[in-house]
Amino acid sequence: MVEDSVLTLEHLAVGYGRLVVLPDVNLSLRRGSFTGLLGANGSGKSSLLKTILGILRPLGGQIVLNPIDGRTPVLGYMPQRESLDPIYPLSGFEIVLMAACGRVGPGRFINQTEREFARQCLAETGATGFGSKLFSQLSGGQKQRVLMARALATKPDFMLLDEPTAGIDAHATRAVMEVLKQIHAQHHLTVLLVSHDLTTVRQYAEQVIWLHEGKVLHGAVGELLTPDKIEELLSLEFR
Amino acid sequence: MDTLREILGPDFLLRNSIYISLLVGLVCPLVGVYLTLRRLIFMGVALPQVSSCGIAFAFSLQAWGVIPHMHEHEHSLAFIGSTLFTLPTILLLSLLMRRGGGSVEARLGTVYVLAGAWSILLLVTNPLGEHGLLDMLKGEIISVSNADLRRTLVTFGVVVLVFFLFLKEFLLVSFDREMAITLKKNVIFWDALLFLVIGLTISMAVLSVGPLVAFGFLLIPPLIAHLFARNMLQFALIASGIGGVSAFVGFCLAYRWDYPVGPTDVALLGLIYFLSFIGKKLWLVVRKTAPEQA
Repeated sequence: MVEDSVLTLEHLAVGYGRLVVLPDVNLSLRRGSFTGLLGANGSGKSSLLKTILGILRPLGGQIVLNPIDGRTPVLGYMPQRESLDPIYPLSGFEIVLMAACGRVGPGRFINQTEREFARQCLAETGATGFGSKLFSQLSGGQKQRVLMARALATKPDFMLLDEPTAGIDAHATRAVMEVLKQIHAQHHLTVLLVSHDLTTVRQYAEQVIWLHEGKVLHGAVGELLTPDKIEELLSLEFR
Repeated sequence: MDTLREILGPDFLLRNSIYISLLVGLVCPLVGVYLTLRRLIFMGVALPQVSSCGIAFAFSLQAWGVIPHMHEHEHSLAFIGSTLFTLPTILLLSLLMRRGGGSVEARLGTVYVLAGAWSILLLVTNPLGEHGLLDMLKGEIISVSNADLRRTLVTFGVVVLVFFLFLKEFLLVSFDREMAITLKKNVIFWDALLFLVIGLTISMAVLSVGPLVAFGFLLIPPLIAHLFARNMLQFALIASGIGGVSAFVGFCLAYRWDYPVGPTDVALLGLIYFLSFIGKKLWLVVRKTAPEQA
């Protein structure tokens, strides 16, 4: 186990039922690090993320979330926005308020402090103006800001984001990533970002995990995302 | 106006009927909100039919001599039969839906026709209960005893209380199950509780007003509310409000013109939906063209 790591995966097997996507994942994420999780479609990026989050059961091995100040780290999750059904007439504010469910028990009502905190989170992601609007009517980039505010409103130690820049234009991508960079720096969060966008990961992440045909490459951006290494990895992808 | 004065008068004979209509009108749309949002509208068609089948089965047990006749407790017997059929069906259907695979519509369609067919078969083979039972299944809202009203009031009171207390949990597991898991919520428990409450409401509604009217109040008010709601609270309140108002106005119209109450309620809901839909479309057109003219 690496000193000061927030997450350690030991011989973790990831998949669905009998289908093993990643048979043996071993890695550690340092506290406060910003890691990009790259790989081709179907390489197991989202599956790995969901297994860490507890949404998918691991097929084998162990996931160790190391305590922070004596307590289990809180995970903030930002799902792919397409996974959320637009039929729900939820305002941006109501979406962010959902994060309070982790702290406010069943049968208890969300108090004014939590509401104020949700507003703060919206402000921090530059989404104040979207709080009163219907979430389903927001643009891709606006939705991502609201979802990021929701992840932030869980008061996380470790933020896990599933393709936050998928399907949005370059301008919105940059805006979303700048907000994430700012949050990472201000709150000293550990960030694990699933993306297929190599440029974005190279620009914002410090560490990279590259998944390819069940294998896991983990290293610093400077080492793993050099032009030669990328060419080598991409040629493997397309072979 | 005279009709209204008569209905609101203290000596109105069908007082309990109007109360029960109002209860169904106010509470069924709250349940329908979740059926609509979880895209389980077809379940709203199939389950009342299953509930009816449960009622018919419970009365058949009497006819077959399996259980003794209990005239004074017929309502309770019907409620037990309805609930025992509805709850396992809703839990099984939701489990199959969650596991994926197969066609959801085909499953619900099959349940609907089988439950419908069995209800009729059980009715025609029951020499004792055909008349009263047929009235019950048609949604005859005329003869409602104080005990029936109390039972409905208590059941719906519990339903509203559960929705009120656990609104945020029901909403979270319905809207974003994955997020709920990351927040350490027991999603299976919350799903089961939600479906239990839905099943209980449908059982009681079918018993009170019949499957057609129950489905009408489950489906149409949430569809109307969805046109206008800007958040979840508005959605629930508008749906429930429309249900309540329609139930009252429908009852008044049916009483005035001597129509059956249930179908009048549903026809009125259909008219409100049509007018709301047209109104919303017109408003959108006006809003779109207004800045251009300016």
